[in-house]
Amino acid sequence: MNERESGPWFGEFGGSFAPETLMASLNELDEAWRTDGQSAGFRAELAGLLRDYAGRATPLTPARRLSAELGCEGWLKREDLLHTGAHKLNNALGQALLASRMGKTRILAETGAGQHGVATATACALLGLECVVFMGSVDADRQRPNLLRMELLGARVELVEHGQRTLKDAINEALRTWVGDPAAHYLLGSALGPHPFPALVAGFQQVIGVEARRQVLEQAGALPQVVVACVGGGSNAIGLFRAFVDDEGVELVGVEAGGEGIAGGRHAARFQGGLPGVLHGCHTWLLQDEDGQILPTHSVSAGLDYPAVGPEHAQLQADGRATYSACEDAQALEAFDTLARLEGIIPALESSHALGWVMEERAELAGKRVLINLSGRGDKDLASVFALRGKGNP
Amino acid sequence: MSAADETPPTDELLAGNRLVRATQALRERDARGIAPYLTAGDGGLESTLAVLHALDQGGAHCIELGLPFSDPIADGPVLQAASARALDTGTTLPETLEMLRAFRAAGGGVPVALMSYANPLLRHGLDETVERAAAAGADALIVPDIPLEEGALLVGACATAGVCPVFFAAPTSSDERIRRAGARSRGFLYVVGRTGVTGGGTTFDAHTQSFLARARGLSAAPIAVGFGIATPADVRAATTHADLAIVGTALVRRLHRTEAAPDARAGAAAAFLAELQAGLA
Repeated sequence: MNERESGPWFGEFGGSFAPETLMASLNELDEAWRTDGQSAGFRAELAGLLRDYAGRATPLTPARRLSAELGCEGWLKREDLLHTGAHKLNNALGQALLASRMGKTRILAETGAGQHGVATATACALLGLECVVFMGSVDADRQRPNLLRMELLGARVELVEHGQRTLKDAINEALRTWVGDPAAHYLLGSALGPHPFPALVAGFQQVIGVEARRQVLEQAGALPQVVVACVGGGSNAIGLFRAFVDDEGVELVGVEAGGEGIAGGRHAARFQGGLPGVLHGCHTWLLQDEDGQILPTHSVSAGLDYPAVGPEHAQLQADGRATYSACEDAQALEAFDTLARLEGIIPALESSHALGWVMEERAELAGKRVLINLSGRGDKDLASVFALRGKGNP
Repeated sequence: MSAADETPPTDELLAGNRLVRATQALRERDARGIAPYLTAGDGGLESTLAVLHALDQGGAHCIELGLPFSDPIADGPVLQAASARALDTGTTLPETLEMLRAFRAAGGGVPVALMSYANPLLRHGLDETVERAAAAGADALIVPDIPLEEGALLVGACATAGVCPVFFAAPTSSDERIRRAGARSRGFLYVVGRTGVTGGGTTFDAHTQSFLARARGLSAAPIAVGFGIATPADVRAATTHADLAIVGTALVRRLHRTEAAPDARAGAAAAFLAELQAGLA
């Protein structure tokens, strides 16, 4: 465990803002992560699952035609090729294995785009754990294939019908259920929430960056100048960024959901339109009104449609080590199409935000080596993309 | 976030605090009390003001006044809906404090414990908000998402304002945590009767009673038990070991079934409090 993973605070962000009923479970999880989670036995078992079951290492693909089109040297970290089609499985396997070794038999999880729900249902099927996934009914409608996959995998999906009926409301309901059943393990899907989740999830996702850094050195012979990832809660991004934080010449760029534009207020760009505060257990940047009520969010991508960002990103931003930009729905949809046509890869709408930013910034990025996290595949998004086209969007 | 002072308000600073005096008086007489909870602005702040007066005149020992929040993770469906209704009518923290000031100005004397999730307090500035709450007539502050781990924030803000910081104990809390929470709380320690969100039923069986007895024994502060107390029989069972029984969801449900006119809500609150008082020994 390195220093970055040790405590509840990332600078002035993070913390343990959870109801007392959950503190015993959170402290038990923290203890298990510090002890068993760092043991050679656990590490070996997880590494075996990641290699033999999930399909790690994932490739680093030179994006030749996209690079020619944009005038930069683009590299894609292929988390879309991981089993279940997104980076989420790294964390789901890690936490489910840890929970199983803690003697837990019941797993609770939230999901937005459905990728974390599918990954959790998968890990639970593999390890023989009971699985309940909370999903907003709006998200269930726009990510229906993932809903069906979770059910096939033996999970029970609880639709959440209050609030905006998206990821935030699913987390609310998962937390409430956990308060009533603290013996269960809550398998939180992003690098946010109360301690130890931000550090725990980042710890399980940093395999992305460790591999990518080694691969880019092997394949390109040098580090990238720019590393780019989309940021909802930010687990794929923190998993990639951690490996490059100490490489001073490497620029780290997180891309939030710009929705229909920051000015109009329909977006999920916390660093552009938010302020620090406390939601879902941690102190971080939030979209909130002047009375501290959490604001509705909008993104074409269910996985980025969330009003808070992981606290480690808030620290990287405060330290000036990473910058956070936004990509609007229209640019993300254009990137979705572009990657499919130029590289034969259909990206998740979440990952399309990272690609969309690269396409927008092509002049700035000209001639640079750019590593992009392709955090997931886009099959789940086909129905909503075609529905949007029917409404006259690109 | 600033590292704040860990020392709770001194007894001297709290000498005039209504809640401290009320719970000390209960202990001295070995008596028990009822602390109704309501969500500020559910039905409009005018109704809330009328209900506060009705509960005060009806003999409530303390009132827990909840500030609405968009994402109340420790609350069940009834209090979630109350928060949403209050926000829909435009209730804000500053307006709620103004209403509390009006309650005091009109002679309202019952201790009032404000309950708020952390974010609205932080958004308005925690220290400034607690100062303003104290000036408006609040006696205590309960923050369900500030556990002991972040308790320095709450204690620090309360220490200078002369407001009681209130921490929680739950059935999942170790003896050590209950002792620490009781030592850092003033007025009372909020004991959650069962593992779960607000509302629903708490069964006061031997298991629950033994937990409440454990909490009473470990806490330096008096204890208030809440979550799922709905009937006079619940009040009787809850106050076997607890100094105060907090009745929230049942009252909020009763008020919501009554028309929103302030007089109607005040009448419903007074009638329900009178029913519950039959449960006090």
